[in-house]
Formats: sequence, C-alpha cells, structure tokens
Amino acid sequence: MGSVAAAARLAELTDVAEEKASVTPLAPGMFSVDLGGKREIVYVAGPPTDQWAFWNGHVFHVEGVPEPLPQSEPGHRRARVAQTLSAPMPATVIAVLVAAGNRVKKGETVVLLEAMKMELPIRSLSDGTIAAVRCREGELVTAGQVLIEMQ
Amino acid sequence: VIKRLLIANRGEIAIRIIRACRELGVESVAVYSEADKHAPHAVAADRAVCIGPGPLRDSYLSIANIVRAATAVDADSVHPGYGFLSEQAAFADACERAGLVFVGPPSSVIARMGSKIEARRLMQSVGVPVVPGQEPDDQSDEGVRRAVDRVGLPVLIKASAGGGGKGMRRVMDAHEIVDAVQGARREAMSAFGEGTLYVERLIERPRHIEVQILADRHGHTVHLFERECSVQRRHQKVIEESPSPVLTSGLRGRITDAAMQAAAAVGYRNAGTVEFLLDRPEAADGGPSFYFLEMNTRLQVEHPVTEEVTGLDLVRAQLIVASGEPIPWRNPPTQRGHAIEGRIYAEDPTRGFLPQAGRVLLYREPRSPGVRIDSGIAEGAEVSVHYDPLLAKVIASAESREVARVRLTAALRDFPILGVRTNIPFLLRILDDPRFRAGDIDTAFLDGEGSSLAEPVSLEPPAFVLAAMTAAAGSAGAPAAQMEPRGAWDPWQQLRDWRS
Repeated sequence: MGSVAAAARLAELTDVAEEKASVTPLAPGMFSVDLGGKREIVYVAGPPTDQWAFWNGHVFHVEGVPEPLPQSEPGHRRARVAQTLSAPMPATVIAVLVAAGNRVKKGETVVLLEAMKMELPIRSLSDGTIAAVRCREGELVTAGQVLIEMQ
Repeated sequence: VIKRLLIANRGEIAIRIIRACRELGVESVAVYSEADKHAPHAVAADRAVCIGPGPLRDSYLSIANIVRAATAVDADSVHPGYGFLSEQAAFADACERAGLVFVGPPSSVIARMGSKIEARRLMQSVGVPVVPGQEPDDQSDEGVRRAVDRVGLPVLIKASAGGGGKGMRRVMDAHEIVDAVQGARREAMSAFGEGTLYVERLIERPRHIEVQILADRHGHTVHLFERECSVQRRHQKVIEESPSPVLTSGLRGRITDAAMQAAAAVGYRNAGTVEFLLDRPEAADGGPSFYFLEMNTRLQVEHPVTEEVTGLDLVRAQLIVASGEPIPWRNPPTQRGHAIEGRIYAEDPTRGFLPQAGRVLLYREPRSPGVRIDSGIAEGAEVSVHYDPLLAKVIASAESREVARVRLTAALRDFPILGVRTNIPFLLRILDDPRFRAGDIDTAFLDGEGSSLAEPVSLEPPAFVLAAMTAAAGSAGAPAAQMEPRGAWDPWQQLRDWRS
C-alpha cells in the first residue's frame, strides 16, 4: 500500500483541489506533477528515508524521517559546547599540525587530509584548545570520523 | 598503422577514445583497476584488462602494469588520454621501448615541456613572451624566498613539474612566503614526485587563452584556434568556450602565431595545447599583452569545444597522425559559430566544493540538437574517492555565444544526477551571471567577486517536488509493474491504487 496519496499531499500543500492535482510516473524515477494545468517534471531516487529529487537544475536531498524540532530553551545554546572536527569524506591524513593542549585560532589549519589527489585542510571553527587528537599521519579515515576534539 | 589501441585512462576520456576507435575500425583495449571492474569505460571497450587495485599508484599510474597489459593483449599502440601518465616522459619512453606507438609527442618533447622551467627558457629563446619570473638554483626555503624578493610581490610560486593548479601557491604578503613554499613543495612531491619550484610575477585578473595545435611527421603543423578557459576555481577550469569573446582578429593572429612558434621550437608532434595568459589591456601598459604559460603535451579535457567550432575530430586525427600519416584535412581549419562546455564534477559547491563519493542512483542525459555530452558514468555506477570527480562534460554549440549559453543552460536544467551532489547548480548560476553573459570574466572571478555564486540558496522543495517524492516513496515497495512507463497502464488507475 502506498503510504500517503501523492495527489492528496499535493492538494494539502497547495490550494489546488485534490481532483485537479495529479502525479504521473513517466519512467522509473521520473514523474510529471500536474498542478491543475501547469506541469512540472521531477526526478526522484533513493529509499524513503534518504530521498533525492531533481527539478529544473535544483537538487533536493531529504534524509531521515522528518521529526518535530525540539523546543530549545533560551540560553541553552549558549552553553560552552565541546566541538569536534571530523573528516568530510574518506581521505588520508597527511599531516597533524596540532597536539593536545595547543591553543588554536579560528580558521587555523589543524589537520591536512588528502583525497582525490588534492589537499584538504581541516580548519578550526573557533578559537579554542585542542582536547584530543584522534587521528594519525598516514591513517585512512572515513567520512564523519572524528579527527580532533576541542574545548 | 594502428590496429589495436590500449587506452591508459578511465572515465569520459576513455569512452571518447573508444568511440574514435570504433569509427576508424581500430580495436580498443580498456584498462581498469579492481575498483573500476564494472565502470562504463571498462565495459565499453572491445577488450578490458585489469591493471591492479584501486589506488592510483598501483593501477592507472603504474607504468609497468600498463605496459605489461599492452604487451599481453598484443596492442600496437597506447593512448594516454589526459591526466594520469599522459605527460610523464617516462611513460612515453617505456611505450617507445616496448615497441608501442605512443599517441602523443616523442618522450623527449614531453620531458622538455614537462619541466615548466625549461619550457619558459625555451620560449624566451625563440621570442615568445613569458611571465617575468625567477628560476632559483638554490631550492631551499630561503633560496625561493630570495627569488620572491627579486620578482617582487605579489607572486605565484609554482612547481616546475606542475599542472592543474597542483603545487602552486599565490603569495600576496611577505609573511605567507614560507608556508606557501613548503605547501607548494609538499603538494608537488606528492602529486609529481618532484619538488623544484619557480616564481612568477602574479598577473592580476588575466584571462586564460589557449591554442590547439596539431602536427604530423611530415613537417605540417596547424592550429585549431583558441579556447578561452577563464572561468576557473582555484586553477581548475569550470567552463570553457571557443571562440574567446575578447580576441580581435589581430590579437587572434598574434596569439596563434606565437603558439605555432612554440610548437616549432620544441619540434612538436600530435595534438597539444599552448596556454597563454592574456593581460588586461589597461595593465599591459604597452608591453606584451599575452604571456606563454605552459604547453600541455596531450589532449585537453576541453577539446570538444574546438571540435564543435571547427567540425573536426581531434582524437581521430591524433590516431591518424600517430600512425605516421599526414594531417587528414586538406583545407586549413576554420572557426564557425560558438561552443561552450560546462564540466560536471561530483562536488558540493555549498560545502567548499568537497568531492563527493557514492552510488549514482539516477542519471539521465539530456538530448537535444546542438548539445553534446561526453561522460564516463552511468546510473548505478559508483563515484569513487580514488579518482578525479569529473563525471561528464556538456558542450552546447550554436550560431552565436548567446544562443550557446542559453542552450547549455537548458541542457543542464534537464540533466538529473541523483545520489551524489554535483556542481550543476553552480554552473547554472555562472551561466546566468551578468559578467559571464557579457563575456567579461577573468581567472580571478570565481575565487573573488563570483565566489558568492557557490553560496547555498536555501530553496525548500516546492510542493510539486514533495508530491513526487511522496509518490516515489509510496511506490518503492510496490511491484515493479507499477513503475512501468506511461502507456503500459492508465495513470489514473495508478493514482486510485495509491489511495487504497
């Protein structure tokens, strides 16, 4: 069973009447969406929890099930938060330029990665102190792997 | 005569060369790393040989593995493509010694032009203007620093073995010199295994103009006019076109003459490109308005724009010339209309152009008159972290620059690639920028004034996109028959099914 009727959702999101809105698959991953006369071609791929869409040169990527945003208390975000710097993509660590206890300035390069034959500097996002170095020179790191912990 | 050609490359250029082989009746042999076993180029060739594991140095950069593969399949020739080993004199030399025809210039020419320092000296000796600079004998940090002092800030520190912006650093201020020297040397060592540096005065906001050359063994050399590649990000070309929107016929004559002179000076053979910097008219100050930058002794990524405006096939010509035959065109090439190429990279412009890796979930090339696509991926293919993030090139040609610009825009808007982020939104914003529209772009534009074109646009999915996503999610678990294209069933029936 299809989870939600696409046309019903379309009607809900716009002021087009449900019977005038339609979504028609044209080819695998290719849909024609009719908004009561004006049609748009949209391409969609990926599982429901990790969906990609393309329309007119724009790409949309929706990950996970949308959840209501937690209400954060005022001032809560101002608390001093430990910061981590992680690898943005699979890469090789070519140089670790700091050690635990070092003070660094915002924008200072702390780790040099190499991926696709290009150097990729990892820079501190704020002034602070290095709490721990979690990578070694020569190490192959995966996307999202924590390289540096900061205070 | 070439009968069986091994293509020592991957991706779109390998496929481009395979196509030329088909037309000429030459058998094509692809090489692939273990990571590329099912890659489109490995599948497209008449034969394919594995040359080692995924990392470059064990496969596509291994001269021994490639020459061994060529000998094993009894190939008579090797096309290096661009990048990888294409400008390694040692590779051309290894092919020559193994009795393989190397589709390119002799190894001695590659070696001379591969040393950017030697190329500078040679061009100076024949009167081709070069950027004022220094080639320090003392290669220590201090020695290079003194060379910077002699040239005067601002400067570019460059690797003699360099290319593609690797091993190059711009220095605006004295306190940056040591970091720049060490960074350039380290990058050059890592990319080329050779860290010799030289220093050039920084030409501010120049245009990048290059001239395509083709030479045969019978003493004929022709040029195929210019390409303008000023739309660059950190020395990586993004959009290229021919003709240049700014060359007058007089300047075009002088710059193509200089390119022919450069080719003659080095005894060039096969296809090559002479790159120049074109200074701003107000900055040139009566001096030379263009400077020799370097010579690329191979086919260029952006060769299709030249093919589109001349109507000639450069790869076919390369194979014919490499066979020992004369240049295959009777009349001198002419330039007609306008062509613009956009390079599609797997990179995320909104996150510092980080290269992206992953599976391509959906990939549909646009088809329309005047649009050519050279690509090396397919739906379901894996974009690997091991290799260059260039996925495809879209080339639009038309009777005028403006029509080509609009045509390229329409093609990119109709080119869905899902699963990995690409720079298509960035290309579209450049094409729409008033400076690009006016043909008023220099090589500093994208890194300076135009850097805002990469900023994220917070565009929420419109309702019709969400509706299509809902429909796709709803049909994800449904029987395959429900995903049949329109015509196989009644779509209204389908909508009722979703509601049930």
